[in-house]
Amino acid sequence: MFDHRIYEQIERYLAGTMPAEEKAAFKALLLTDPRLADQVQEHRQVLQAMQHYGQRQQLRHKLNSIHTEMETGSKTVTSELTAWKVFFKKHAQTMAVAASVSLLSVFGTLWSVQQMKKPVQQQTARYIELRREVEKIKKEQRAIINGIASADAAAPAPRSARFSGTGFAISPDGYIVTSSHVIQGADSILIENKAGLKYKVTEVHRNTEYDLSILKVEDPAFAGFSKLPYTFKTASSDLGERVYTLGFPREDIVFGEGSLSSASGFEGDTTSYQISIPLNPGNSGGPLLDEKGNVIGVINGKQAGQEGAAFAVKSSYLLQMVSQMREREAGLAISLPQQNNLGGVSRTQQLKKLQDYIFVVKVYN
Amino acid sequence: MRKSLYETDEAIMEGIRNDDERALAHLYKLHFPMISHFIINNSGTDDEAKDIYQEGVIVFYEKIKSNSLELSCQIKTYLYSVCRRLWLKRLAEKGRYANRIEDSENYLSLEEDVPQHEENERQFGVMAEALDQLGEPCRTLLEDFYIRAQGMQDIVEKFGYTNTDTAKNQKYKCLQRLKKLFFTSYKPEV
Repeated sequence: MFDHRIYEQIERYLAGTMPAEEKAAFKALLLTDPRLADQVQEHRQVLQAMQHYGQRQQLRHKLNSIHTEMETGSKTVTSELTAWKVFFKKHAQTMAVAASVSLLSVFGTLWSVQQMKKPVQQQTARYIELRREVEKIKKEQRAIINGIASADAAAPAPRSARFSGTGFAISPDGYIVTSSHVIQGADSILIENKAGLKYKVTEVHRNTEYDLSILKVEDPAFAGFSKLPYTFKTASSDLGERVYTLGFPREDIVFGEGSLSSASGFEGDTTSYQISIPLNPGNSGGPLLDEKGNVIGVINGKQAGQEGAAFAVKSSYLLQMVSQMREREAGLAISLPQQNNLGGVSRTQQLKKLQDYIFVVKVYN
Repeated sequence: MRKSLYETDEAIMEGIRNDDERALAHLYKLHFPMISHFIINNSGTDDEAKDIYQEGVIVFYEKIKSNSLELSCQIKTYLYSVCRRLWLKRLAEKGRYANRIEDSENYLSLEEDVPQHEENERQFGVMAEALDQLGEPCRTLLEDFYIRAQGMQDIVEKFGYTNTDTAKNQKYKCLQRLKKLFFTSYKPEV
C-alpha cells in the first residue's frame, strides 16, 4: 500500500524540507498510524546507516591513498627507536630493582664502614675541655624529676647559666683566674663561692695558648678579698707528688685527690702536667695544689677514653701571664700572695681555708 | 606539506574538524610506524598493521567529527591504546592469545570508545552485505542518490530511464528490498 510517493513524503519529512502545514498534518498522521511511524523509523535508520557507510567507505579510501602515498615515499621507519623503547619497557622494572639494590649497597657499605671506624676513633686520643654545660644537665635532671612526679609543674625559674666552670682568686685586689674555654663566648660572667658571695666579673686578660683567662670583680662595693692562704709555685713540681683540687663539677664544691703523673700534658704539651685525679666537666679552671698548699697549676682538661689522665696548666705560665699584664699596664694593682698559711696544716683544715677563694664561674650567653 | 602547521595535537584536531585532508594525512603518517612496530612485534603482519591502524584512526576521526572526544592524553597515546585494544581482540578472534604484549608506550583502557566503534562496524558490515545482495543496478542507484547525493535528473540520464517517475519508482523498489535485507540481519542493540 505504500508507494514511492509516500517514501518521498517520508524523506522530505526526515530532511526537514516539508512546508509547515503539511508537516503538522504528517505529524498528526504519525501519531494515529503506528505502522507509518515504524516505517519512518526504519527509513531513517536505513538512510543513516547507508550514509555512514558511504562516509566510512570514503574515509577508508582516503586512508588507503595516504597509506600508499606514504609507502611510496620514505621507507625508512624509525624502528630503531621503538625497538629500544620496547626493550626499556620490558626491562624497566628489573632496571629499577637493580638500581635500587646498587644504591642501597653503596650507601650500606659506606655506613657500615663508618660504623666500623667508630671504635677506632674512640681509641685515638681526644682532649676534653672540662667546662660544664649547665642547661643540658639541668634539663636532663628536670626530665627525670618530671618523670617521677609530674604533679607539681615547675614555676618559671630565673634564667640559669649556660655553662659553668671553676675559678680561684690570685690576688686580694679582686683578680680571679679560670680557663679561657670556660668563658668562651660569654655575654656576662658571674662568680659565686661556697659562702654565697656573688660578684659580677669581666675578663681583663686572656691567653688562649695556655688556655688561661684573668677576670676582675666589677662590683663597686667590692672591698677586696682577705689575705690569700696559698702561694704560687714558680719551679716545676716533681713526679709522684700528691696533689689535689677543689672545683665545681656540680652545684657543690668537690674535692679530688691524686698524684702528679707526668711533667708534660696532652700529646707532650710541656706547658701542662698530667695528673691522676678523676675530673668532670665543671672542674676546668680549678686550682691544682700540692701538699704544702702551693698552687702548682690550673685544671683545664682530660683525655677522652683514658682513665685518670687529666691535665693542668703549670703555675709558672700563670705567673708569666700576670707579669705580661703588669708590663702592658704600668701601675696595675695586682699583688700576688707572698705568704703561705697552709704548710703544716692538716688537709681538712687546708680545705676549710681554701674554700672561700674558690668560685664557681657561671657563664651566660 | 608544511609540517609546522600541524605540530601540536590541537592543530591536528582543529585541522580534522575543518575537513583538512592534509591534517589527516599528517596524523596518519606521524603515528603509523609506532603501531606498525607494535603489531609486527606482537605476531602480526604488515597488512594487519595497516588494517588495525586504519581502524584506530577511524575511531579517532569519527570521535573528533562527532565532537565527543575528551582527550585526556596525547593523540599518540590515544591511538596506541585504541589499536592495542583492537589488536588484542583480533588476536583473540584468531584464537591466539597474546600472553605477553610488548608495549613501547603507555596506554589507557578506553572502556567506552572501542565498543561503540565495534557496534558501528557491525552495522557497516551488515549494510555492506545487504548492498552486495541487492545487486546491480539497485546498488549503484541507491548509492548515487543517497551517498553521492546526485540529482534525480542525472540518475535518469545515467540509467536511461524514460522519466523521473520511473526512476523514483525503481528507487522505491530498491530501497524496499534493501530495508528488508538490512533489517533481517541487523537488530540494533540499543
